[in-house]
Formats: sequence, C-alpha cells, structure tokens
Amino acid sequence: MSIDMSQFYQVFFEEAGENLAAMESLLLELDVQAPDLETLNAIFRAAHSIKGGAGTFGFSDMAEVTHVLETLLDRLRKQELDPTVEMIDAFLQAGDVLKSQLQAHQEGEEYEDARVAEVCEHLERLAHSDEGGGEAPVSARDGAASSVTHWRLAFAPASIGRGTPGERQALFEALGELGRIQDLGDGESERCLWQLTSTAGRGAIEEILAFVCEPGQVEIDTVETPGAPPAETETETAYGFFADAPGLEAESSVAAPEPDQDALGYGFFEGAPGTEPTPEERAEAPDQPQEPDLLTEIQESNGYGFFRNAPGSEAALDQEHKGYGLFGGSPGMERVAAVARQDRLDDELGFGLFNPAPGSPESRAENDEASASIPMDASSAKSTAGRESRAASGNAAKRPATTDSSIRVSVEKVDQLINLVGELVITHAMLADSAAGLDPVVHERIMAGLSNLERNSRDLQEAVMSIRMMPISFVFNRFPRVVRDTAASLGKKVTLKLIGEDTELDKGLIERLADPLNHLVRNSIDHGIERPEVRLAAGKPETGEIVLRASHRGGSVVVEVSDDGGGLNREKLLAKAAKQGIPMPDNPSDKDVWQLIFHAGFSTAERVTDISGRGVGMDVVRRNIEDMNGRVEVDSTAGRGTHITIRLPLTLAILDGLSVRMGEEMFILPLTVIRESIQPRAEQFKTIVGKGRVAQINDEYLPLVSLHDVFNSGRPEPDPLDGILVIVETNEGRAAVLVDELVAQHQVVIKSLETNYRKVEGVSGATIMGDGRVALILDVDALVRLSRRGG
Amino acid sequence: MNDERREGSAVATDSAREYLTFTLGEEEYGIDILKVQEIRGYDAVTKIANSPDFIKGVINMRGIIVPIIDMRLKFHLGQVEYNEFTVVIILNISGRIMGVVVDGVSDVIALRGDQIRPAPEFGSVLDTAYIDGLATLDERMIIMVDIEKLMTSQEMGLVDQTHLAVA
Repeated sequence: MSIDMSQFYQVFFEEAGENLAAMESLLLELDVQAPDLETLNAIFRAAHSIKGGAGTFGFSDMAEVTHVLETLLDRLRKQELDPTVEMIDAFLQAGDVLKSQLQAHQEGEEYEDARVAEVCEHLERLAHSDEGGGEAPVSARDGAASSVTHWRLAFAPASIGRGTPGERQALFEALGELGRIQDLGDGESERCLWQLTSTAGRGAIEEILAFVCEPGQVEIDTVETPGAPPAETETETAYGFFADAPGLEAESSVAAPEPDQDALGYGFFEGAPGTEPTPEERAEAPDQPQEPDLLTEIQESNGYGFFRNAPGSEAALDQEHKGYGLFGGSPGMERVAAVARQDRLDDELGFGLFNPAPGSPESRAENDEASASIPMDASSAKSTAGRESRAASGNAAKRPATTDSSIRVSVEKVDQLINLVGELVITHAMLADSAAGLDPVVHERIMAGLSNLERNSRDLQEAVMSIRMMPISFVFNRFPRVVRDTAASLGKKVTLKLIGEDTELDKGLIERLADPLNHLVRNSIDHGIERPEVRLAAGKPETGEIVLRASHRGGSVVVEVSDDGGGLNREKLLAKAAKQGIPMPDNPSDKDVWQLIFHAGFSTAERVTDISGRGVGMDVVRRNIEDMNGRVEVDSTAGRGTHITIRLPLTLAILDGLSVRMGEEMFILPLTVIRESIQPRAEQFKTIVGKGRVAQINDEYLPLVSLHDVFNSGRPEPDPLDGILVIVETNEGRAAVLVDELVAQHQVVIKSLETNYRKVEGVSGATIMGDGRVALILDVDALVRLSRRGG
Repeated sequence: MNDERREGSAVATDSAREYLTFTLGEEEYGIDILKVQEIRGYDAVTKIANSPDFIKGVINMRGIIVPIIDMRLKFHLGQVEYNEFTVVIILNISGRIMGVVVDGVSDVIALRGDQIRPAPEFGSVLDTAYIDGLATLDERMIIMVDIEKLMTSQEMGLVDQTHLAVA
C-alpha cells in the first residue's frame, strides 16, 4: 500500500493503551455472580477496538489474541456462557499479553513469548467449556485454519460499490483463489450470498475483502457441514434457503466485525420466510420429508442466534408456519426475548431480533456508517432513551461518553499557552501599576478597561491551567488490579475503595504520582493488612479494606491511602532505629516515630517478600513526593490501621513560595520547606573553630546558611541581627537560612533556567514577579551543600 | 579554516549573505543576521550568583528566562556603561535564546563569501577560533564572528556541556 501506516502508529498505541486500561478496569468491576451486560458489552467493545486497530496496522499477533478474547467475550455477552472467576483471570492475563505486545511494537520489536499461545489456548478452552463431546459448533469461527471451513459471505453489492456484475466477478475470482467458491444467491438480488470452502482463516478472507470495502460490510460466517458428503448439497440448499433467516442474521451481526445493519435489515426482510418467494420454497420442503428434520438439526447444532437456547425444532416449525409472526410478540418472540435480560425487553422489543446482545445497538451507534444507515424507528429511539437513563447510573456507559469529545494536544503547546497567559497577567499588573497614578474620575474608561482586562485574564489563566488537569482516576484505576494481584499472591483478602476519583490535578503530577502510590498500596497490603485468620482472631472482618481517597483542600490536592490493618509497631520501629543508630529524642512523639519509616534502608518487614525488599523504600516515596513539592504524613493506630496522607500542589507549574530579599535581589523559598521564621538574637549565633557557623534554635544547633555568603553578593554582609532566620527542612535535617527580609507570600509560575542557560547551583528554577523581573527559586538542599563548601 | 567554515554554514556561497554589524568600543563586529531574533534596550537584570562576570544575569523576555552576556566584558573592550543607548541583541542559537549587550547596532550589510578575508593568526595572543574573517566596507574593518561557536563554547560556560552533548 502506498500510504505509510507508521505515521498513525502512535495514535493506535495510545488508543490501544486506553482500551486495554478500560478493559482491565471493567473486568475488575465485573461482578461474576451478577454480570452486568452493559459492562460485558463495554469490555467486548474495548477488545474489539483493539482488534480492529491491530488488524488495520498489521499487528497480527495482537489481532490474534484479541480475536480469541473476543470469541469468549462474545459468548459471555450473549449469555451463552456464565462468566467465571477463571475467565476473568484469563481475560486479565490476555490483557497483560496484549500490553506486552503493544509495548514491544511501540519499541519496534516483535513480542515472542510462549505465554501468548498459552493464554489463547486457555481462552479457547473456556469459550467451549460448555460443549461436550468435542462437538464445537462455533470453533470454526476461531480462525483456526487447520481444517477446511465453509465460509459464508453475505453482502449487498451495491452498498460496497461492487454493483456491476463485472466487479462482482472480479471479487468472486479473487476469493476463489482461497479455495472453492460457490454463488448461493441468484446473483440478481440486492444481496449476494457466496460460500467459500477453504482452509484459509477469517483473516485471509477479510484481507481480500479489504481491497474493495470495509470488511465489516460483509458478513462472514462459518457453515457447519454434516459429515456425510451426500447430505452436503442438501445442506447447502437448505442454507441457501435459510441464509437470510433471522437466526443467521442474529448470529452474523455479532460475528462480523462491523455489521452493516442496513444490509442486515434488507436481508431480513427480503429473504425472510415472510416474503413472497419463500412460502413456495417452503411449500416444497414437506415434499422432502427429511428436510425439516435436517434443518432443525442443523439449526440446533449450529446454534444460530436466538434459537440456541430455545427448543430448536419448535423454533424451526414456528418459522415455517408463521415466520414473520416473530415481529409481533408471537410465541417465537417470547422465546427470543427470554434470552435477553428481562429489563431490556421493553426497550428493544421489535428489533431485538436483529441484536441478540442487548448492548449491541450501542456498538452500532459507535459506527457512524452503520448508524447513518439505520432508519431510526420508534422502538430504537425508545431504546436509546432507555439506555440513556441507565447510563446515568451505570459507570461503564458514562466513561466512553466523557472521552468522546476530547482532543490530543502536545504538552509543549499547552505549556506555551500557559506561558503566554502568564505573560498577559504580568503585563496587566504592569499596566495597572502605571495607571495607579491616574485620576480615576478623569480616566474612568481606562480604569474600567483595566478592571475588565484583569477579570478576563484571570479567567483565561484559570481556563488554560485547567487544560493540564486530569482526573486522578487515571492513576487510581490501576489499583483494583494491583490490589487483586498483590492480595492474591500474599494470600490475603483485601478490597479496595476509591473515593474522589474525579479530583483533578496536573497531568505531570498524575504520572509521577503513580509509582509512589503503587508502593504505598502494596506496602499496605503487605505490612498493613493482616492474614484472614489473624484478622478474625482480632475480631475484625476477614477481608481487609484499603481506601484511596483524593480531594481538593485549599490550593492543594490531598491523596490518602488508608488501611484497616494492624498499624505501625512503635516499639519495633524504635528498636530498629536504635539498631541503625538513628538519633531519637528521649520520649519521641508518635509522629516522630512514624517518620522513621522514611529513613533509607528502613524496613520493618521481617522477611523479604515479593513485594517488599525490592530496593524501593519509603525513602524513595518521600523523595518522589517532595520532588513534586509535596509532603507525606503518616498516622497510625495500633490494631486500627495506618493512614498516609500525601499533600500535593495542584500543578507543578505553580509553586507556593515566600519571597525573601537579600540586598536588592529577590529570591523565592518554596513554602513546603519552611518550618518557621524567627528574628535572631545575638546569642543564637555560634561558631565552631571560628568558622562553621551554627544557629541555636530550641536547643538544636542548625547549620547557618547566609544567602550573602553563598551567592557572593559582593557587598559586605549586613548585621545578621537585622536579618531573619528562616528554618528550613532539607534532606539532611534542618538548617537556618539568613535573609535580609521576608517580603510576601506568592503563588509563582516556575520557569526553567536551563532552557536557555544552564543549571545554577543552589537554584531550582526562576519565576517572574509581578513587576516583570526575574526571581530565582532557591533549592535549600543545594544551598546547604554550597554553604558547607564555602564555609 | 575559512573554507571549511563556509561549507558548514553558508549554504549559498556565491550569493551575498546578510550580517548585522554592531560596535564594541572602537571595533565593529558582524554576525549572521539569521541568528538574530530581535534587538531591544537594556533592562534591569537578575544577577546569578557564582557566574562569570560577563554574564550579567537573566531577564524576563515575554515569559522566557533569557541570560544576558556582556560582550564588552567578554572581550575586555570599551567602557562598560549602561545607558539608554545600550543595546541588547537577542540571539537564537540552536534553539537557545540569549542576549548580548553591545554598545550599539550600526547596520545590516550584505557580503559575498569572497569579500571576507581570513583573519591573520595571532598565536597565543588572541584566540581567533571564533573569528570567521575580516571584511572591509567603506574603509571600515568588520570582524566577522561565528556567534554560534562562540556562545556554545566551553569557555563561555553558558551551556551545560552535558546538555549540549545530548542536543
């Protein structure tokens, strides 16, 4: 093909990733005892989208796995099988395989793993778990190309642009290359029906069809042939006879990747028993005594569509005598409806026949082409309305709706926009400053304009900032899986509760929050939640609970991880601290003790498990959080559980800071590092061997950092007694920073110095103050290091 | 050296290229005008501690933090005095924005490659690695500077060398 598909790969990777994530969360949501059809359909759709994309872009390995996945899902959503925990496990495994495959493709490699075959095989086995004696009516659909399969292709030539006989013939011949092909239809009608006998799989057929049309526009079905060759021809005619019968439609509408509903509709009405030619044909049927029985048999064994669960012979008889009675609440209709869930019956009465799976109208609606071609009759409109009301309560239906109307924008562009708006706000501040001297009465219009400008630019700033915001559910959604897997591997029973998933914060933060949260949750399961027997002995429910909660509090986002486990052990922690030589006050407060878990190399796990002892400790968690200008706090009650609170700024682009003056320069100290500020007294300044200066604060000797010293201001240092000591928290404990003056508290927009210059020691970035000047943001950890070197 | 240079950056060797000339003390310099983003007056800068003295500090240019280099201090030329005529040339050098302080901008001139004569070697007295050559225009001698080479040089310390290696 001349089009370079690789340019669209990225889109596929992103979409497939999203679909996989959606699939996983839906799977975890699924209640095996009472499966929600809506959820099953949503899972099917996700799998189907991945398959479609993978097929289009030529990632056949992914398409294969999703295909097998889809087969089982399809049976589940048609309620032919009941979901089991084993299936869910298999689905999750398949999801993992797909993820690895996706990643491999993303890195431009092929994914080779025996797991693929294993998972596929497992899924296939599950898909046929209800079929005894090796008789597998649907097995041929699985694309197993090992044996000869009779494929039936039904399509409306006009709708795929193959209207002329010549064009049709070309396609006919192309398909003929795969095997023996027969035209079962009369060749003149608006619908073509071909039968292809070939060893080729569905993929090969779709490939050929792809040259002329959307594979979805052609129904591809398999035909089971009774073993005896003489019966074959009869079967074929019989099929020709029933080719467009409702049962087949129902089956193929699900089996075909993207059913052309329009064509289906035609097929139904034209070829259906109710139309003119059929009664004659049917009248002939009784002449051949064996035929009805055969038909019945075939229908039963193939289990086309609705009649799978209905008594097959009755259905066939019913069709023969009053085929179109099916439309209007005839006994046949009732049997059909019995398959569908009762509550959907009302909604989909009428065209329920076309869509045995109650959710499929929705998938149809997703397909623009298809939906455009469906005449919206009253009943379908009704069903849409009905579904909408359900959607309000159903999570699964809500999510796709919110993602529909979004666009992908590069972060760079958004950052640029944020920059420009920030600039606008500063420009406004400058204008307002110069206008301050004007007489408000004389220059009324200017003043009014300025206040309008202020409001507009503030709104604009907020709106632009919100572009970067994403709901925290993006990171929360992975945890049901994490909890499930971790708990299973540790033999514990844990449920997870998510609260406040809609809380929004900066995308950059969300990505960086994932790892620390992951660690905390796994820690909670490993160390916090006790084994079921221990819990029961302690009078607690067998199943532990972990709560992940996110909320906005003031200008920050608070993320809490709490468990109802055993809590931290104060004595153990203190003993460990003593062993490691960590200095502790004589009678430490609980808070001080809990902080111990953040020390590097501090693990209270008695044994190294799969989860803990992998070298990622709580110290890393704390560092990660602090890198985001956030804070972590621990609270624990023995026997009641542990509660970890992470406080983060709403966005990384903005920092809460305190501006301090040194000489004529302004600096910003991040508020998160400041403990307190004091006016020093002379006796608080001490020196060690005449050099190292310390400040005595509350019986503690803190290293003294003078900004004048560190930054070589070139001016003689002013009297320290005129300055202010800011006590800051650094990686290596507290320190006192001596500044000339505290000016004000600001929210500042962080700018990088490195973009155009280079890294400057002691400075983590720069910002632009209200007057348009640049102020440097101090990095206290580096300041202390610098000061030590200088002193 | 001259030839090699022309191969590197001058795409059209026979047609004339435009250069911005500026003065530093008594001398006149020329730089490739395509590297110039804009010209503006000198604003108050925010000093950066522990940086070489020719780096005056950083300014805010429409939301971008831009370092300012004083060429007169760098070349030890002229009287360093900031007044309303002091000019800052904002350069865009391989994606990095930086400003250079000069005494004044004089002209935009077009020069063909053959109008630029190689600069004589001064040995250890003067490092001519950043000097493309000398051009004569109406009796004036213009020193052609390879501003990109100069600004990204290690000795300027403007760019993290590790950073440059990545880029």
